[in-house]
Amino acid sequence: MKKLRLTFAISSLTFLVMLAISPLKDFFREWKWYQYEYNELVSDLPQRVKPAEIGIKQLWIQKLDRIDRCVTCHLGLNEPALREAKQPFRTHPKIDHDYEDFGCTACHEGQGSATTYRESVGKVVFWDKPVFPTEFMEASCAKCHKEREVPHAPILTLGRKLIEEANCIACHQMNGFEKQWTPSLDGIGSKVNRTWLVNWLKHPKAYFGKTKMPNFLLTDEEAGILTDYLMTFKSFPNNAALDGLPPALASEEERAKLLELGSTRFREARCISCHPINGRGGYVASDLGKVASKATAEWLYGYIKNPKRLQPGVEMPRYRFNDMELAAVVAYIQSEYVDYETAELPELPPQIPNPAYFEQGQALFKKYNCSGCHELGGMKKAEEMGPELKFIGGKKLYEIDFGSSNIEQTLPSYLVTKIKNPRVFSPVMKMPSYEFTNEEAQAITVAMLGNTDERIPEELKVYPKPQSTYSPQGEFGTLVEDLACFGCHTMFGRGRLVATDLTLEASQAQKGWISGYFKIPYSLRPILTERMPNLFASDAEIKVMVDYMEKVFIADSLERNIRAGRDEISKGRILYYEKHGCQACHQINLKGGYVGPALDNVGSRLKPGWIFHWLKNPQAFKPESIEPNNNLTDEEAEALTAFLMSLK
Amino acid sequence: MRAGGLARQSSFTFLALLLLIACARHDDAPENGGVRQDTLEPSSSSVSTADVANLTYEQRQGQHLFLKYCQVCHGANGRGDGFNAFNLSPKPRDFTDHRYMNALSDARLLETVSQGGKGVNKSVLMPSWGGRLRKNEQGYIIAYLRYLAPSSH
Repeated sequence: MKKLRLTFAISSLTFLVMLAISPLKDFFREWKWYQYEYNELVSDLPQRVKPAEIGIKQLWIQKLDRIDRCVTCHLGLNEPALREAKQPFRTHPKIDHDYEDFGCTACHEGQGSATTYRESVGKVVFWDKPVFPTEFMEASCAKCHKEREVPHAPILTLGRKLIEEANCIACHQMNGFEKQWTPSLDGIGSKVNRTWLVNWLKHPKAYFGKTKMPNFLLTDEEAGILTDYLMTFKSFPNNAALDGLPPALASEEERAKLLELGSTRFREARCISCHPINGRGGYVASDLGKVASKATAEWLYGYIKNPKRLQPGVEMPRYRFNDMELAAVVAYIQSEYVDYETAELPELPPQIPNPAYFEQGQALFKKYNCSGCHELGGMKKAEEMGPELKFIGGKKLYEIDFGSSNIEQTLPSYLVTKIKNPRVFSPVMKMPSYEFTNEEAQAITVAMLGNTDERIPEELKVYPKPQSTYSPQGEFGTLVEDLACFGCHTMFGRGRLVATDLTLEASQAQKGWISGYFKIPYSLRPILTERMPNLFASDAEIKVMVDYMEKVFIADSLERNIRAGRDEISKGRILYYEKHGCQACHQINLKGGYVGPALDNVGSRLKPGWIFHWLKNPQAFKPESIEPNNNLTDEEAEALTAFLMSLK
Repeated sequence: MRAGGLARQSSFTFLALLLLIACARHDDAPENGGVRQDTLEPSSSSVSTADVANLTYEQRQGQHLFLKYCQVCHGANGRGDGFNAFNLSPKPRDFTDHRYMNALSDARLLETVSQGGKGVNKSVLMPSWGGRLRKNEQGYIIAYLRYLAPSSH
């Protein structure tokens, strides 16, 4: 009897405890603590903020097929009074995408359906997409934004630019990038000397700090064999051949006579707009500081005479030098741009090539996929591709080999480390080193993480503008090709934006001014590093270009007659100096700022219709311009135009 | 007597159990209501990256806009020493001047950015950005200005 009662007591007690566990467990849910704390927090605020109802909350984002319960604890996302509150209650920054439309994990990643901190952040087994650290957040923009420049995502934009410039797609398949132009190596044996090539292959950036050529970390032996192999390619593309040197360059005495002319032409041609000299100057072309110790005089002469003949596709203009000027420029380069360090080294004993150098060199050339970028001897392009990276951002953690490294085991940290130290995870890896900085490696990682195979509804995606197919024909087309205008200028969406967009040039500038500018291209903006070179084009050629511009680079809608009476001019002057403070950025008579172009004589340069429309909305013509839009009335814009046109 | 003892004993056990469970839960959700100060910030990845991690989203956006639009006069570090500054009189504002900057309300800063110097009775050399930058973007710039001169200083 006693035993029975005891058993009954114990079992009922156990039963009671078991019953109690479930409400207790519910009572002590992690998220409830946050909700209680939130309600306590908002009750202390001076402003009235609605307390949260206790319970799980979730956003169901149907279009992205996501359910996010983050809002269960992140309760103040829409509450401006909580801007400075501690997490998880802080207000969400204002962005262009409302979180109620897009949810949380579409951008932040993490496990949306989880209801504990640890699981929602996603650093748990079998969850491959933990919450992005802040520095990689912009990767999510890339899922939908395929355009080149993503607004408000500077890191992603930089990453995409770097991937394109480094020509990653020569070895890795990736969507949305254009292959870069790289020089053909045919004829390299007639162009460079052996010592230079060995040093270049071993460390390209030592010669040209901004080169896109990476360092393949070759051993001395490999560099030697590869050089011997490359030096056997003596003939140029399309069977072009070097002409030999003119008599004026034959001897040192002859050359000395030309130095002064050469130096003048070198400066007038503004070579340093594109070519740096020992690291200073432009950056779009190779460094000239030691070029005389790299390239032969014959090659320099032949190349400057007609760049595209020896190097098809190169964006160097064919300067209209006569033979004497050409010889003078080469003489000047030969006397000035010498690598004195290697020039003073004792001469090396003649090279005895490894008997199997050709086969071994070719094997190295193929192993490192040099043909991914460079043409050589009609070899098939890209024989040894690297891994495909189209969907690298969706790679699962178990697929990644971290080797023996002890870095954090996440995809972003793997990518950053790999980009910085390409062969760190395994010695058999072949990827070359680009010597990226931490910031660059981070930006590239951001761009790569955005390459996922996640299914995104088509209507959410933003694509880049289609490629321009503009291709000028006739005499003008030939000149544009020959003078490599697209290397700096954009016309109808094609070309670079190193210099101004020419699409509306004839609506913008007066005909006489354009012709004069070809003759003496002066600097409109004092702060620019890249300046228009003097191409020494003939009068006939200038006429062809100006006539074409007057027909094509013009829009009738930008014509406008501006009344320019004394009243308008003085009203414009007041607006210029006293209302809008234009002198902060523009100079007139050496007074004013350096930011925009000087406006002296602007009345002889620009057309009134252009000034008017430009002032009304500068970014309609140049989206990147930092000129403020002052929301001018027509009357104000006309008065300003009248004033500016009076400056002749 | 015996039954009473049993009841006392059982209620005691029950309370002890309850306490145990509470303690166990409490370990997972630590003090101050379960907010884990040390882990809530995104974990710093083992790779060192630029100082973007120190800025809030708004400050980062502001920094980017600042470098594009404001830097020429106000300088990359906001000290009023941009390369165009020496052409200007009066000189551009030094945004690291805590005392001056902290006295200005957000609304006043926003007015200056959007309407320029002329809108707030200051030099016309400061252009108005209201036509170029959207309200959001102007707010980002203010957030960055607050970063340059934190109010707690």
